[in-house]
Order: sequence, then structure tokens, then C-alpha cells
Amino acid sequence: MSLPRSRTALLAFTGLSALGVLTGCSAGAASTGGGSSADAGATKAPASSDSGSTSGSSAPADAGSGTYEDGAYTEQGTYSSPGGQEVISVTLTIASDTVKAVDVKTVKADPTATQYEAKFIGGISDAIVGTKIDDLNVTNVAGSSLTSQGFDDALSKIKSDATA
Amino acid sequence: MPRPDAALAPTRIEFDAIGTRWSITTLGALPADASRAVDTRIEAFDLAWSRFRPDSLVSRIARKAGRYELPGEAGPLLDLYSVLAAATDGAVNPLVGRRLEHLGYGADYAFHATPDPAAVPRWGDAATWNGTHLVTLEPVLIDVGAAGKGYLVDLVAHVLADAGIDDFTIDAGGDIRQAGEVPARVALEHPLDPTLAIGVVELRDTALCASAVNRRAWGDDLHHVLDGRSGAPTREVLATWALAPAALEADGLASALFFTTHAELAERGVGIAFESLRLLRDGSVEATAAFDEVLFR
Repeated sequence: MSLPRSRTALLAFTGLSALGVLTGCSAGAASTGGGSSADAGATKAPASSDSGSTSGSSAPADAGSGTYEDGAYTEQGTYSSPGGQEVISVTLTIASDTVKAVDVKTVKADPTATQYEAKFIGGISDAIVGTKIDDLNVTNVAGSSLTSQGFDDALSKIKSDATA
Repeated sequence: MPRPDAALAPTRIEFDAIGTRWSITTLGALPADASRAVDTRIEAFDLAWSRFRPDSLVSRIARKAGRYELPGEAGPLLDLYSVLAAATDGAVNPLVGRRLEHLGYGADYAFHATPDPAAVPRWGDAATWNGTHLVTLEPVLIDVGAAGKGYLVDLVAHVLADAGIDDFTIDAGGDIRQAGEVPARVALEHPLDPTLAIGVVELRDTALCASAVNRRAWGDDLHHVLDGRSGAPTREVLATWALAPAALEADGLASALFFTTHAELAERGVGIAFESLRLLRDGSVEATAAFDEVLFR
């Protein structure tokens, strides 16, 4: 695939079954392939001990007998990086038990990381030239394996919100 | 060599498992029974080694010290860990799990570090492995993140080979193994910009694994790269790649390269016939020949 893999990963979350699987386990466990896994954690997530503030507007409609209340939910997720905590904001729009839209924003970028990054980019430009993967005829991409602690963190909170 | 299916086009399936995106490319469609066998293989591995599943073997081991029979696949994985632990003076250590949990990467989604995170027990002290059983003196939390994903790629490759499939590329989130006549051209992802490649490697009956810290992503793989000696994440190395005959070795070497150099590993007899690439934070590039000739300069 020539898609940047962050995008590819997001595409994987466009079904609510994927949502259940991902929040029931976590980055290291997720689903088990083939899309056939029935995850026991899919129906009820343990309420997050850090209930935090639901900054999103929850606008429940008549959801019928659905598992999740329709609405747009925003939660923040954090993950530890070597430079400290980093924060992302995830907004999920749910209708009829289906995720209609996903939006992910970086809330806090670690300044140390940014500094390292700038330094590295300055250094690497002399040694190596980056080329757009989309412009290359490749079959696979090898790099950071994009696990998703921060995303899963926000997702588990949203799931809790949406079933409350 | 006569190949009845040689005219078939490369066909790819994709799925999510063990927290990453997988693709398997074969000549012609992957038969349903082989696909099921792959699922079963992955599920069994996850059930044994996932530290995020309360029902997993490593979760049971983490609750209570004792004597545990490990699945047959454990041997090569733990053997490699022993070799890498020795070669990195303990930096690669499967017992970093508890420490990871305390740093906020646990199954409870705490995502904050506890004030006094656990020290990392030494492999061989807190846990001894006799080839079939693991005996633990304390409730250790095993994390096979340094080589487990690559190993699972190998195990899936064996499943395909057993099903009579000789041409495939298996890709588990950038840990890749190729066999046969379906070529794999692999972009080496720029560690700071996933839309860029710094080179392209062609794989032929070999495995390529990567380990990287991607700051622009909301997921950060660095939790796999804790230094077992200090318990701290590493800072000096930004990304590593390793080429080796099997993905277990390539994955483990890519992890070890966060703590040591290719020369030091070779000196200690680790990783015969492997190639490596390291990008350091100071901007320097350390590449052996196979990588050196494919980097974009």
C-alpha cells in the first residue's frame, strides 16, 4: 500500500465492530485477524477511572435498540513518549451503531520531541533525501509500526460515554 | 520449474491482528482453509503472548510466581532473547513488561507513569527457562515486543508453506518476510514523515524488520524499545532496520540495534548474514552494504 499508514490505520476503524475489538483489548492485542473475532469486551468497556471531561457535544438521538447513543463524541487520549506525555484529541461521530466520522488532532506535541525532530531533519537532509512513497513503485512499507495507545485510550473513553 | 499457478496475479488480503495492520500477498487468492489456518495461528500466539489480554498465558504468569508450561513455539523466541540479552548486556530483556505497565502502557489504560516504576528483573534471575517450562520467582510480566511480531510472521510463513504456498509476502506492520516469486519492493519509511521513503529494498527469500519512533503518529512504538538496564526508553537512535533470513532474527536485531551497533553485534557472533541500517538522532546514518546502496542520497 502506498497510503501513509496513519491513514490506513484510521480506515480500519470505520466499522463499529472494529471499535469494539480495539477498545476491548488494546494496541498490543486488538483483533486476531480475518475479522472473525468475537471479542468478549466488545459490549461493555470498564468505565475509565479517569472519567475526565467529555469535551465533546453528546447529542443523543433516538438510537432505538442500538448499543451506542448517536452523537459526536470527543475525548482526549494520552500516551507516553520518551519526551513525556503527548495528547491527542479524537472525535467520533456515531449514528446507528456505526462510526460515521473520525477526526484525530494533536493537542500537545512534546517540545523536546519537536526540537529533536528539527535537529534531525536538519542533519539528515545532507545524508539522505526523502522521496514521496506515493511516487514510488513499492509493494510494502517498513518503518514505525503504528500502534495506537493514544487513540485506543480516547476510544475507550468514548465508548464508555456512548454507552452511558 | 513447472508452475501451474505461475500465471496467477499477485493477490493481497489485509486484516488487523495483534495491534497492527497485516497484509499477505500470494500468487492467486489465498485458499480459504489456508486463511483460516493463518487466523488460528495468530489467535493462538496472541492468547499465549499478549500482555493486554487478561486470559493470556503471560497475564497468568504475571499474576503469580510458579512453573508454567510454555507453548512449543516459545523455544526459538526465548533462545533469541537470551542471545540478544547477552549481546546487549541486558538491554534487550523480555521482563520489561512490568516496567512498561508502570510507565503507562498497561492493559488498564492508565497512560500515566506511577511515581516509582518497577525495576526490570534480570532474565535468568527472576525467570528460568528449561526448554519446556518457565519457572518464575516473582510475578514477572513478559513482553516479547522486541521480536514477537517478527516471530509471528515466521510462524505464519510456516503455515503457508505447510499449505503448499511457496510464493508470498507477509507484512505485519512493516515486519516483512518474502518467499518465492512474488517480488516485494519495500519502502523504508522516513522515521519523521510517514509519507516519505529514504530508500527502497527489494526482498527475495529474506525478511526485513523495522523499529522506529514516529513522533508525528499518535501511536509511538518506542514502548517496545525500553532499555532493560535503565528501564528508560532509549533516546539516541531514531530508527533501525535489519535484514535477515527469518523475521524473528530480523525483528530482534532491529530492536537490539537501538542499544548497540552492527559491529558490536557481529563481534559477539549475533546475526550471521544480517544487514542493518540505523538512523541516529544526531542525523548520522549507519548502513551496511545492502542498505547503503539503496538509500536515496
